[in-house]
Amino acid sequence: MSERVFSVILLPTSDCNVACDYCFEHKEPHRLSLVLVPLLTRRLLDHIENENIEECEIYWQGGEVMIMGPAWFEDARKIMDRAAAERGRRFVHYLQTNLIGYSPAWNRVIRGMFNNSLGTSMDYPNIHRKLFKGGAAAYTELWSRKLHEAQAAGIAVGVIAVLHKGSLEVGPERFYRYFTSELGLSNFQVNTPFPGGPAHEVEGGFQLESIELAEFMVGLFDIWIAEGYSSGVSVAPFDALIDHFTGEQARLPCIWKENCSNQFISVDAKGTVAQCDCWVTSYPEYFFGNMFQEPDLTGMLKTSRARREFVERPKRLVEDEDCLSCRYLSICHGGCPVRTYSALGTMMAKDPYCEVYKTVFACAEAHAGEILRARAAPIISLRERHTVGDPCVVT
Amino acid sequence: MSEEVHPPISILPSALAETQGDRPFVAIVRSRQELCRWLSNPLPGLRWLQVEGMLGDPEAWREAAHGDSNIPLDVVLSDPALEFSHLYRLVDACAVRPIRVTIPAAPGLTKAIRLAAALQLPVRVLPGQPSAAALEELQDALQFYLHEKTVDAPVEFFHSVLANMCDCDTGSLWTILEEDPDAFRHYDADGRARVPRTSGPDQSEITSNGFVRNHLSHLVAQGAECATCPWQRPCSGYFKWPDPAYSCEGVKQLFFNIQTAGNEIRQDVASFTEADKEILSEPREATP
Repeated sequence: MSERVFSVILLPTSDCNVACDYCFEHKEPHRLSLVLVPLLTRRLLDHIENENIEECEIYWQGGEVMIMGPAWFEDARKIMDRAAAERGRRFVHYLQTNLIGYSPAWNRVIRGMFNNSLGTSMDYPNIHRKLFKGGAAAYTELWSRKLHEAQAAGIAVGVIAVLHKGSLEVGPERFYRYFTSELGLSNFQVNTPFPGGPAHEVEGGFQLESIELAEFMVGLFDIWIAEGYSSGVSVAPFDALIDHFTGEQARLPCIWKENCSNQFISVDAKGTVAQCDCWVTSYPEYFFGNMFQEPDLTGMLKTSRARREFVERPKRLVEDEDCLSCRYLSICHGGCPVRTYSALGTMMAKDPYCEVYKTVFACAEAHAGEILRARAAPIISLRERHTVGDPCVVT
Repeated sequence: MSEEVHPPISILPSALAETQGDRPFVAIVRSRQELCRWLSNPLPGLRWLQVEGMLGDPEAWREAAHGDSNIPLDVVLSDPALEFSHLYRLVDACAVRPIRVTIPAAPGLTKAIRLAAALQLPVRVLPGQPSAAALEELQDALQFYLHEKTVDAPVEFFHSVLANMCDCDTGSLWTILEEDPDAFRHYDADGRARVPRTSGPDQSEITSNGFVRNHLSHLVAQGAECATCPWQRPCSGYFKWPDPAYSCEGVKQLFFNIQTAGNEIRQDVASFTEADKEILSEPREATP
């Protein structure tokens, strides 16, 4: 059986319990009924069987997934995992939540279904993540409390931070300290923002100037290398880049994959299939089809005209853009289609953050060089001592 | 002590390969049907599939991405300038089986090598008797292979010739490029053995062993520049076939550039003294 892994970003609801400014999703109260979970499961298993793939990763997110309640997840897991086992396949589940609805009632399902870990999101400073009542400050306070409760329950928590103008203003050092010193996190990820979804005044302000963003990213990279790299703090995507440039196996984020269309899809509560959560919640013109209406997911993916654009994108970029002459092509492949589409109205162009990425890659390459030199330093030092002490060696 | 003699690997069209059984062979496939036939039910002697003219067929690569067998593929580009971007279609199949890309020295070679390198695909460049334009492409490709740090996978023939210049015996270009009839016997659609890069009716010279040795001896006897060429051993008259009058001026520059890189590596290796080896063998603390 193939070692390939197929991933599904599964949105059991588009409904949400908070009111963030930059959310690109259409918030709908629709929820995935447990009655439909067996059908969804069968479609996914048929597909991975057709593709001769053993494992399917399910990234549960929303909307806000915790709206579904822990009992719903217990039942969904039983249905999915039993069906997979009967066909010699396996689902691996991951959870991405805003944590606002977290309570100890979730601990059992998080432990049993999600390997006692979850992902959540917070920015610094938090300006845009808001509760319906109480705004951003109340959100931060409630989220921080929930984070500490989850950590106290032994749950490993990773945090995604979306950068915005305020982040660049406070600078990388305060940003880094917030996540590591104030929140006590040893695992967080920084994402570049993009104006996803329909045109929206606030969202339009989220595209950051490349030079400022690049300076921030390099500053953050430098601080992490100086303080976090050797002490067990993981900052994505910097850690994967260091792995790559030091010759280790690296798990780079989806925005830099050879072709994201080969590796995952997103499915919403109504069965809509699209490339990722950004597309399934925002761009109907790029839907691949509907899983509950079409019996053959493999066939849908093969024949979807919308998907063909994703498949062909990297090919077009090396033909039409300057990606082929870029020395970082192997770790970027033109970047993210949705970042490109949301900024330019077409995905057949390279990622608008190209210059930022190149700066970050160069920074990673330089740091990796220092790390490799540091690894060799004891040998060089010993060699010098041996050379000095050896009268036969003319220096 | 007797030396083990390996039978040559037969490289032959798919239809002729059916009778090979467990004798070592490479099947040349030119359609999705042929590809699927060998992926789903390979004969024991099948070493790899030589896939020709199929990069434009996305469905073929979906089939190749299935893990029914792990038969390696050698994907041949005929026009790299037109086909190079199709290499993205191999990404899924790479996850389930070894894939090498074979590229002729022709316009677009460097583009194809750049993309293949970005996808970590090993490459075999078939130089033939390169024209001036092809030589320029080869020089660019060589510089990329030698000096671009992001290149991980080997680019043949550069890779093995460089190893040869660093005292590793990798054989001549005939072997490196799988064109030595003693080791790789190519057959046409009628089942007749052929020397690569030739299509004439008279192929009698390969029916006996020692084609490369005989070819080089003949060149030297005829006063060809091979007699005094410093790269006679790794080349063995490769660039004088099929046209013995081909001028090697351009390819000598290629060899010279590889030799220069090889010398630099040899110097680095030489500076790695016995004392260093002792130091490296001493236990040391883990570093970040």
